[in-house]
Amino acid sequence: MRAVWQLWLQPCRQLLVGALLLQLVWLVAAILLGCVPAVGAGIAGVAATLLGFGTWFWFTMLGMCLRGLCRPESFLLPDFRRRLALMGGLQVAQWALLPMVAALMMGLPHALLGGACILLLASIGLAASSARYVNLLVWVLFVLAGWQPGLAGQIAKAMIASPWTAPLALLLATLITRLSLRSMLRIDDQEPGASPLENVQLGRSRARALDGTPVRRGKLAKRIGAIFDNTSQRAMEQALARYRAKPTWRLRMVLVRRLLLPHDNPQAIALRLVLVAAIVAFYVLAVMHRQHFNAVVVGAYAILLGLSRFPQLGRGMRQMRPNLADLYLTLAPPTRADYQQTLIDALVVLVPITALSTMAYTGLGIVLTHAAEPVRMLVTAAIVSVGTSLTALAVHLIGPEGNLGRGVVDLVVTLGGMAVYWGGYWLLGALGLPFGSTALLLVTLGFGLGVWTSARREYLRRPPSFDAPLA
Amino acid sequence: MSTLITTPPFADTRTESVLRVSGLRKSFKQREVLRGIDWEVPCGRVIGLLGRNGAGKTTLLRCLLGLSPIDAGTVELFGELMTEPGGERMHRIGFVPQTFDLFPWMKVRAYLDFTAAFYARWNHALAERLLGDWQLDPKQKIGELSQGQRQKLAIVRAIAPEPDLLVLDEPVASLDPQARRAFMAELLELMKAPGKTVIFSTHITADLERADADITLLRDGAIQFTRPLAELREHLRRAVLVRDGGWSHAPVVAGLLKASLKGDEAQLLVEDANTESLQALATREGATLRIEMPTLEDLFVELA
Repeated sequence: MRAVWQLWLQPCRQLLVGALLLQLVWLVAAILLGCVPAVGAGIAGVAATLLGFGTWFWFTMLGMCLRGLCRPESFLLPDFRRRLALMGGLQVAQWALLPMVAALMMGLPHALLGGACILLLASIGLAASSARYVNLLVWVLFVLAGWQPGLAGQIAKAMIASPWTAPLALLLATLITRLSLRSMLRIDDQEPGASPLENVQLGRSRARALDGTPVRRGKLAKRIGAIFDNTSQRAMEQALARYRAKPTWRLRMVLVRRLLLPHDNPQAIALRLVLVAAIVAFYVLAVMHRQHFNAVVVGAYAILLGLSRFPQLGRGMRQMRPNLADLYLTLAPPTRADYQQTLIDALVVLVPITALSTMAYTGLGIVLTHAAEPVRMLVTAAIVSVGTSLTALAVHLIGPEGNLGRGVVDLVVTLGGMAVYWGGYWLLGALGLPFGSTALLLVTLGFGLGVWTSARREYLRRPPSFDAPLA
Repeated sequence: MSTLITTPPFADTRTESVLRVSGLRKSFKQREVLRGIDWEVPCGRVIGLLGRNGAGKTTLLRCLLGLSPIDAGTVELFGELMTEPGGERMHRIGFVPQTFDLFPWMKVRAYLDFTAAFYARWNHALAERLLGDWQLDPKQKIGELSQGQRQKLAIVRAIAPEPDLLVLDEPVASLDPQARRAFMAELLELMKAPGKTVIFSTHITADLERADADITLLRDGAIQFTRPLAELREHLRRAVLVRDGGWSHAPVVAGLLKASLKGDEAQLLVEDANTESLQALATREGATLRIEMPTLEDLFVELA
């Protein structure tokens, strides 16, 4: 039983905050369910909703944790599969069976159907990390429901009334669980590791699992990854040829950039923009049906997308440290500060890349949502993205070492950036484009440059570090 | 039961020094790994750095190259302090790290081309030959190479610039016997050129014997000695005293480095053993005496 307990604890070990929150959700739902005799059946709906969402998120998290755990070496553990099944049974009992039995005992309507639906949600959550195409089916359902809301409502009512719905949901849950378990328990060759500095923004799946091992990717993701890698190889070859022909400082810097930021070459950036455009267009056109969007939300979301490059850069730079010793020896800098300066010069290119990407995302948002004031949005996005990306790069150069500290800093910078966009957009509206943009430029860029200059000075003062991060 | 008697570090002043370390200290948090290292490496020698797991070999090598900040002491490379890397001086150094996980997305050829582009001296023919001999596919991605193949690539990268100082941190740990021998052959070939020095951390003592290396022993955060292998062979002997009923304590003899008691035997590692006095001791204690010549591995086991 100790082994089953250890397996049960995995979500708490790997994602403590999320696990605690979701267990709290379960507890609240259980208390609400317990209050039904006193308060009335109305509160059961709230409990069911909480349980539904809680189950979905909990099993998604469980799937992520188990995905990393189910590696070939684990299958050598005695009775690993049986214990895994036992733990799964306990999870199902906690999230679906127990509440369902309680609801049945209290004589609540649709208790069986509710239990079956919660099981279906659990299976969909579990599939999120191993059989991702199941998630696409959920999206398709959302799309269909969005196009024909009346029909969807009628179908939902009919399904609630039908005695076949519960067995059908159970059957579907079994099928999805089987699909995800088959993928999860399959012994595959490990994917070759990716560079920790590779850009894994929207459009590319995460490069590493929770436990740091390379994630297993589907065929499409592998194909997209191969295209990105080909662009990196080509960009490197071109940079090498140019440097050999004319070994200038600028071309040397391009060469170092191609090494450190393999997926930040022009072709890869263009490909990433196309992928983002495709996903966002699908989202807006199919899911949201071009409802009215607040321009500020669109712009702030573009800022969020642009800034999402930096947290990964910070993590990657830490992971790369031991390997960067080779680059240090290769570059043979006269002083340590020269080496640090080379890294800064290489990484600072992310500022214009982020600014241009953010403007492209904003432009896309403008087109898709027929925004009323495109120039105002673009100008705000351009100014704010330069300031925030300078700040983000600065804090990742000298920011805290620990994951928690970095997480907090990322959150503050990202939310700060979005808030500044919000404020900037308002300022441009209040003062007019020329005055508003000048004022915004002075404030945003002034702050960004100030932070950047201080961080740069501090980074140059520090000796280069090639020690592996402790955690 | 065993007793260890330490000898003073051996200072070699025969030739010009490539590396000079003085009072080097390094700690990780509360744990002091290097406790005042004094070490001098003469030019033109192969130095075998021996020490048990966790003795601080990797830390020492990284500190020497400026890859890990030091807490106290000085490091001089090619006659200049390592307070700064010093530009082209770094190109006179080849380094093979313990693990090589560099830029997994890059292909072998692209990686070597990238590195070569920065070097004024790069032996392309040697790199090509080694890639062929060691069956490294230039079109393969580094991330797809096995650990042994990555090690081979790291060695090619380190040797190709024909460095004056080659620092190897357990370079053969992941290599098969053929690759290990081929690597040692290349190393010996490299050493034929004048002024080449190799510092070689390894647990495979046979390789050090093949290279006729000077042996440096790192223990308890300090260099215990640096001595040529031939000298160790000439001066160190193991005296085994056997008597019924065993030994309550180890006998004391002149030049004793380490004593251990096993059953009826008292095994004494002795420097410059005096056979006559050992024989007299055996007679006095009612024991029989056997004198053996220890291998380098035996010495490592005894002294490390």
